[in-house]
Amino acid sequence: MEKFSARLARALPVLIVISVILFFLVSVIGVIKLIIIAALLAYIIDPLATLLESRGMGRTHATAIIFFSILLAAGISLIFLLPMLASEISAIQTGFSSEKSKEMILKIEFLIKEEFSFFGVGNFDLTEGIHKTMVYLGDWLFSHIIDVAALITNLVIIPFMVFFLLKDGRAIKKEFLRVLPNRYFEMISSLLYKMDLQLGSYLRGQFIDAVVIGILSTLALWLLGLKYFIVIGAFTGLANLIPYLGPVAGGTLSVIASVMQRGDLSLVAPILLSFITIRMIDDVIVQPLVVARSVKMHPMLVLLAVIIGGKFFGILGMLISVPVTGFLKVVLEEGITSLRRYRLS
Amino acid sequence: MLNENSLWGNIFKSKIKEDAAVINILRKIPVFDDLNRRELAAIERILHRREYNHDEIIFREGDPGAGMYIIETGRVDIVREPDMHVLAELNDGEFFGELALLDDSPRTATAIVKIPCKMLCFLQPDMLDMIERNPRLGTKVLLRLARTMGERLKKSNEQIQALKEELSIKT
Repeated sequence: MEKFSARLARALPVLIVISVILFFLVSVIGVIKLIIIAALLAYIIDPLATLLESRGMGRTHATAIIFFSILLAAGISLIFLLPMLASEISAIQTGFSSEKSKEMILKIEFLIKEEFSFFGVGNFDLTEGIHKTMVYLGDWLFSHIIDVAALITNLVIIPFMVFFLLKDGRAIKKEFLRVLPNRYFEMISSLLYKMDLQLGSYLRGQFIDAVVIGILSTLALWLLGLKYFIVIGAFTGLANLIPYLGPVAGGTLSVIASVMQRGDLSLVAPILLSFITIRMIDDVIVQPLVVARSVKMHPMLVLLAVIIGGKFFGILGMLISVPVTGFLKVVLEEGITSLRRYRLS
Repeated sequence: MLNENSLWGNIFKSKIKEDAAVINILRKIPVFDDLNRRELAAIERILHRREYNHDEIIFREGDPGAGMYIIETGRVDIVREPDMHVLAELNDGEFFGELALLDDSPRTATAIVKIPCKMLCFLQPDMLDMIERNPRLGTKVLLRLARTMGERLKKSNEQIQALKEELSIKT
């Protein structure tokens, strides 16, 4: 008993410190989200800065040039895309009021009531349900993506963080190594380097993959004549960051949008065919070329990560949960290997 | 205001002096001896300054190698475990562990501090990063490193040859 209370007395300060840190982290969760996004972006852009440096440019100049080029490209895209996106989103919101789509929904509702009456769906109101969901989705998109105040704040803070992470990343790492005890200095330095290599190629691979899939989906939907091809294409590209669920989500959204637009199922088969083709291109060509095999994650782990990410940060959390889990997996695996090699475990 | 200025002035002066001292040390290291001042300053920026106490182990035989050490001040013994047989005694301006710049195979001996040391550490990850950012400088350093290794290898061969001859005379 005495032993237990002595242990408890020893553990208590540690527990208090951990609780304070956790409390602090929870209270600044918004800032953490921004830091994670900035760090991921800095990771993706870093090779460009290194490439310019290898051509004889200073780090600060290289960072500034890349940064302003990206800002310029993003600014131009926003000027052209934002009104289009906004009109597409409001079109999605009101898209269900068209006569054809109402007719289609009533048909589906009737079919469900007929075929599945034994499930007790007699009072099922599909029109109302879809209408409510779409209004909610539209409001959510407006409040989360086109929330002007948050957008402006993020547009200022995130690039600011990315700039300094890119410019001073090495100095920050050096300073971190400086405060480490001599015993761990070499090990942590090697660990950081190996993590950097693996994580960098993984994140950049994921990013390129998402961009390629986004472009291919947008193109396919545009060719098929779907109205909201930019929003859905961009969504499919982003959702591709979430393995297994992402492609299904993109496909489902496209099918729903086509049914709503046409009022029939005529576009369903071409859309599914396009998505299956894009998936195959992704699996056979894009992924083997760009995505690092070393950060292979079990489907169950990915699913758990997506659920936890969604719980903490919503849709954005679901998107960043997979790269963050990849990061934690690399840290853990490399950490354990290093501890063993340095005989510290 | 004046005090503040002189404080900042002193801080910068001491930093400049320290950097110049490090560059002077680097000039005498074979791996860096044909670099110009600008290139030496680039190397100086990626070095890690560490301090070690008496009897502190810098690395152990069998640990994965991560980089080379240059002694600014102090003394380091390179010993073979488990008998702690001293293979070399290294002093100010000398260096060791340069093989670890080329691969992370296990260290072949233990480095232990005998007189408290100020050390400059040139790590393999920093060198690889430098090669990517500044291939010209990276190539120069690598070439010098290869030559240093070659010279060591020649010396070892000569020693082996001498030992062989000694053995054949005895038998």
